Amino acid sequence: MPHNTAPHASRCTQGVTGATVGPGAAAIRLEVNGIVRALAVLPSETLAEVLRERLALTGTKIACDRGACSSCTVWVDGAPVCSCMVLAIEVDGHRVTSIEGLAGEALHPVQSAFIEHDAIQCGFCTPGLVMSCVALLESHPHPTEEEVKAAIGGHLCRCGTYPHVIAAVLDVARKGKRSP
Amino acid sequence: MSAGTRTQLQPVGIAGVSLGQAERPVGAEEAPALAPNAQLSCIGRSAPRINGHAKVTGSATYTVDVTLPGMLHARILRSPHPHARILSLDTGAAEREPGVRAVHVIEHPIGRAIEIAGPGEAGPARRQLRYVGDPIAAVAAVTAHAAQAALERIRIEYQPLPFVIDIEAARQSDAPPVFDRPVRTEVFGGPAAQLPQHGNVHGPDTSASRGDAAAALSAAEILIEGEFHTQVQTHCCLEPHALLADWRDEGLTVYMSTQFTAGIRAELATALGLPLSRVRVVVDAMGGGFGSKSRIGNDVLAAVALSRKAHAPVRLVLDRHEEQIDSGNRPATVQHIRAGARRDGTLTAVAIEAYGTAGVALGAGVGNFAQSIYDCPNFSLAQSDVFIHAGPGCAMRAPGNVPGAFAYEQIIDELAERLALDPLELRERIDSSPVRREERRIGAERFRWSRRLAPGGGQGALKRGLGMAQSHWPALVHTNCACEVRILRDGSVEVRSSVQDIGTGVGTVLAQVVAEELGLSPGDIVVRIGDTDFPAGPPSYGSRTTASLTPPARNAACLALRKLIAAIAPTLGTTPEGLTLRNGRISSSDGLHSIGFREAAGRLRTEQIGAVASRCDDYGGFGHRMGDFAFARNGLGGVQFAEVTVDTETGRVRVERVLAVHDCGRPINPRQIESQVHGGILQGISYALFEQRILDAPTGHMLNPNLEQYRILRSRETPAIEVHVLENYQGTSATDAYGIAEPSIIATAPAIANAVYNAIGVRVRTLPMTPAVILEALGRLPHRS
Amino acid sequence: MDAFEWMSPQDIEQAARAATTTVAAAMVRDSGEPAAGDALLKAGGIDLLDLMKEGLLKPRRLIHLRNIAGLDRIEGAEGGLRIGPNVTLSQLASHAEVRMRFRALAQAAGASASPQIRHLATLGGNLLQRPRCWYLRSRAHHCTRKGGDRCFAFGGENQYHAIFDHKGCAIVHPSTCATALIAFGARLEITGPRGARRAPSVEEFLLLPEADLHRENTLEPGEIVTAIVLPAPAQATRSLHIKQCETESFDWPLADVAVVLDLESGVCRKAAVVLGAAAPAPHRARAAEAALTGKRIEEPVIRVAARAALQGAAPLAKNGYKLPIFETLLRRALLAATEG
Repeated sequence: MPHNTAPHASRCTQGVTGATVGPGAAAIRLEVNGIVRALAVLPSETLAEVLRERLALTGTKIACDRGACSSCTVWVDGAPVCSCMVLAIEVDGHRVTSIEGLAGEALHPVQSAFIEHDAIQCGFCTPGLVMSCVALLESHPHPTEEEVKAAIGGHLCRCGTYPHVIAAVLDVARKGKRSP
Repeated sequence: MSAGTRTQLQPVGIAGVSLGQAERPVGAEEAPALAPNAQLSCIGRSAPRINGHAKVTGSATYTVDVTLPGMLHARILRSPHPHARILSLDTGAAEREPGVRAVHVIEHPIGRAIEIAGPGEAGPARRQLRYVGDPIAAVAAVTAHAAQAALERIRIEYQPLPFVIDIEAARQSDAPPVFDRPVRTEVFGGPAAQLPQHGNVHGPDTSASRGDAAAALSAAEILIEGEFHTQVQTHCCLEPHALLADWRDEGLTVYMSTQFTAGIRAELATALGLPLSRVRVVVDAMGGGFGSKSRIGNDVLAAVALSRKAHAPVRLVLDRHEEQIDSGNRPATVQHIRAGARRDGTLTAVAIEAYGTAGVALGAGVGNFAQSIYDCPNFSLAQSDVFIHAGPGCAMRAPGNVPGAFAYEQIIDELAERLALDPLELRERIDSSPVRREERRIGAERFRWSRRLAPGGGQGALKRGLGMAQSHWPALVHTNCACEVRILRDGSVEVRSSVQDIGTGVGTVLAQVVAEELGLSPGDIVVRIGDTDFPAGPPSYGSRTTASLTPPARNAACLALRKLIAAIAPTLGTTPEGLTLRNGRISSSDGLHSIGFREAAGRLRTEQIGAVASRCDDYGGFGHRMGDFAFARNGLGGVQFAEVTVDTETGRVRVERVLAVHDCGRPINPRQIESQVHGGILQGISYALFEQRILDAPTGHMLNPNLEQYRILRSRETPAIEVHVLENYQGTSATDAYGIAEPSIIATAPAIANAVYNAIGVRVRTLPMTPAVILEALGRLPHRS
Repeated sequence: MDAFEWMSPQDIEQAARAATTTVAAAMVRDSGEPAAGDALLKAGGIDLLDLMKEGLLKPRRLIHLRNIAGLDRIEGAEGGLRIGPNVTLSQLASHAEVRMRFRALAQAAGASASPQIRHLATLGGNLLQRPRCWYLRSRAHHCTRKGGDRCFAFGGENQYHAIFDHKGCAIVHPSTCATALIAFGARLEITGPRGARRAPSVEEFLLLPEADLHRENTLEPGEIVTAIVLPAPAQATRSLHIKQCETESFDWPLADVAVVLDLESGVCRKAAVVLGAAAPAPHRARAAEAALTGKRIEEPVIRVAARAALQGAAPLAKNGYKLPIFETLLRRALLAATEG
């Protein structure tokens, strides 16, 4: 799992370490958007599938299912990853944040900026882009345009929202808005 | 002028340049003339997207997110062979697989060229498979995995047949034929004479020719000639083709990622023999289409058949591999162009011989662009479809015009150079469009076109180049198109249409138009779209939703308001005649009576009132009509300027900057228009530099059926883009608004190609312009022994 | 994906015992479907899951290495660095000492894939991933590397294939990190199933088709790479990795180059020049190294070296364009390394 593992990531026990489980369902515990979930998943299920199909968190989109478009980007222990290339069983004991867990009552400033700058067309890639852009600003509050482009280089937006996405992120950085 | 019409003065001309007024005949039910944007409060402003909140929070519901209780999952079995006959097919074992609920065999595939059966023939007894990925059968099971496993239990005996996937090879007389019989000639928009077919070559279609091009070419003072090759581009919608079919005794409901709910309903009703009233098509959020989700395909019919058989809803979502090989594509083309001109630049003759391949489908023509953009008395066009054993092409954003402009706008650039004319000056002479003239003027100034050097004039390995190109696209209007506006007793307002928002933001545009008419703000309007239970709206293709739907939306709002006024006038102790809506209040001209909009609605005797309006003809009529749609009198222009750098040692082309000047009639939401233009330009750059379907000649398989080796522009290839949109009033409808999605992609690839020429002094006539292509053009490839 | 069992061992010995074969061996077959029943090792799993989703592998069990303690550290070792195989590419690219002393490696890691993948992908997995050759990755093509009798790249779509050493198979090695690792003279620590240990250099570890058509390295079943060891570089070492792709955002290189120069007041005492995406294993350009050694690194010397690097190149029908790109990249890398 990502390097910047949060200190409390080991809070859940890693129930399957050492033992062999599957091919049927195995029990895992993970924290999703602040709620600890006990789930029975097949070892072959990806995190993206489990979020969408078992937890009905359909904001995470699957578009290529090979890590080549980043539509399925969520955070594992705070780092943006392609959830189609992570098995759910791997994140046993870890902390997952999906687009649904980003905002509380109010939108995150990045989400507001996406609306303001119309950094949205069909919107299918948008949740993943939002997750990567927020993660960038968490680690680099004042990125350059090139840094924004590099941070979202793995994302594919077929509609071509990149100019507005970049403008939105730079605008948030300029205004010094951080997470609420 | 027919009965029930009147004339009214409409704003006409380009704001800031030539804005005036002209009298137009309009129908009696039409709303009064709409003032120019500067005088309006909702239209012409960048209202935020109404579904923006849902899209940034992940709560927007796409078809892939829809589930129903008891839903089954379907997968499709596809041909592993580029050409084969099915000798036997046995689904017994698949049907007995655990979890399988239904199996459907596709006997009469659609979405491709259809052979004409000979007299007394029922068609071939055995199904022929004509490309890798050709659908054979579908299975519905309790999980997608079970369905996939069952596919592998379908027993098929194939007789592989010879095949051809290269367009040049397919044209040869001894090439393996894709079709054994002639196929039915089909052209966009209506019937056409049956074209000849020899081997795999269907055509040529010469119907657009005029004058005597051959004679004029031989007499021409200047002759320019070139052959251009363009590749297959795939749509790569981020949301795959997806549907959930729910067949019930009382009727069929289909949740589907589609560009045309009403059209899908009509196609399904026809295919299934159901009345329109028993078919419902629904799409909420929609993850991109670009032309590929316009019609029903084999996937749709298979899912419906499975639902009917299994008595359960069936979900079918294509995977990325299927998307790449069998969801449509932009056809490849080979275009040979000869252009003759006088020494002053006047075009005297153009002859285009074009071959294109849409795989097993028709529709690879490119001639519309050259035929329409510049005046030329002698024009000869011979375009043919070449069949190959590859997945069917279909419309993709500005079909035909994108490859057509890539070639023709380079020919014009060459002509300018030969005449030692600035490319802008040549177009001043040959382009009769006053709108593009203004666009060139604005663009040249803001782009600082005058700094352009002679071709190949830069120093060092990294060469900089500037280029420009123009676009032309017909302004299309769907006339089978209606919209309803309802005013509810609490003062809330709904606008309803079956139109779908594929990402352009049409719902926001409707809210703006209705809000403008009712003195409200766009956020006050509830937009209900994407459902055939609402009045049938237009398709989201042909850049026609705004042009088609905003006039009836405005007229419906106007009619609903009149009904409201009529209903509440007695409660004010007056008659409706003198009452109008001003500043949010319904007031009489004498000022004696006045009531707020919401308060007025509260006086309704019924819960709601509403009005439905349908799209009337453009004021003054259309250019011509084709069934459910029509061509407006004037087309849509556009001029794009590109600045590139070419690394002459590595062959890398980088687009540094694009400046686009476009017109779309009255702009309704400038920022959404800018988003559309960004999309067109970025897809155009991607087409020019990166994208191509790669087929393996020995096996017929696509080698890059993914989003990794099928390369697409992303963030770091995105240049600085400036968009300028004219307010070009033509006085032709209640909103005077037209489309922008397609015009915005047409000029991009040729502008880049012209800029590449300007940078390196070598003409690149092949797409995509990869490092390999550029290095070859520069003569930098090693000599091979 | 088909169902499989999952095992997450706590130590290397347990993992090594559980593995029945390597990914490369599991993909070799007579024809038709991949064999079922294998137990395969998985680290970040980016490549493994890709191969499984494509139906090229159908393992019975995956042995997850990422919960084994101690494999995700970067530590000093005899003046150099010892890098755990579970270190992610993002961890590697952002590590201060790697960036300072092994710049080419940080550059190679930091420019691979995308940030979202670099957070998952490990250095061990990057080194051991299968080639991106589209014939290898197509179920429809039973190629030599999978036990078939032909390499489809010859006479096929070979624009992204090898220009060197493609006897019998024209893959290019997929790891850009390997290009840099070889330039730094990195070694691997490998533990075998019964505790056997070996420490080949990365250069020795990676194989050409003439040595073995079916695998890219010498990894045996049950062997696990437990460390990647970078020897101490000389004091005045300059290094650089650059690549060219068709798209910059997210792409595999058409060509990549790593140079490591030991410079003493402008004179090159020792040079390592490695070309990636050029051959089935990163290609050590020894003629270029010789052309640099003992010379003051200036434009004419650089030109000679860059040309020398392509000695023996044998481009295929569609990849001759790689030659000028390699020559240019190398020239620019040498210039930049000397200046920076």
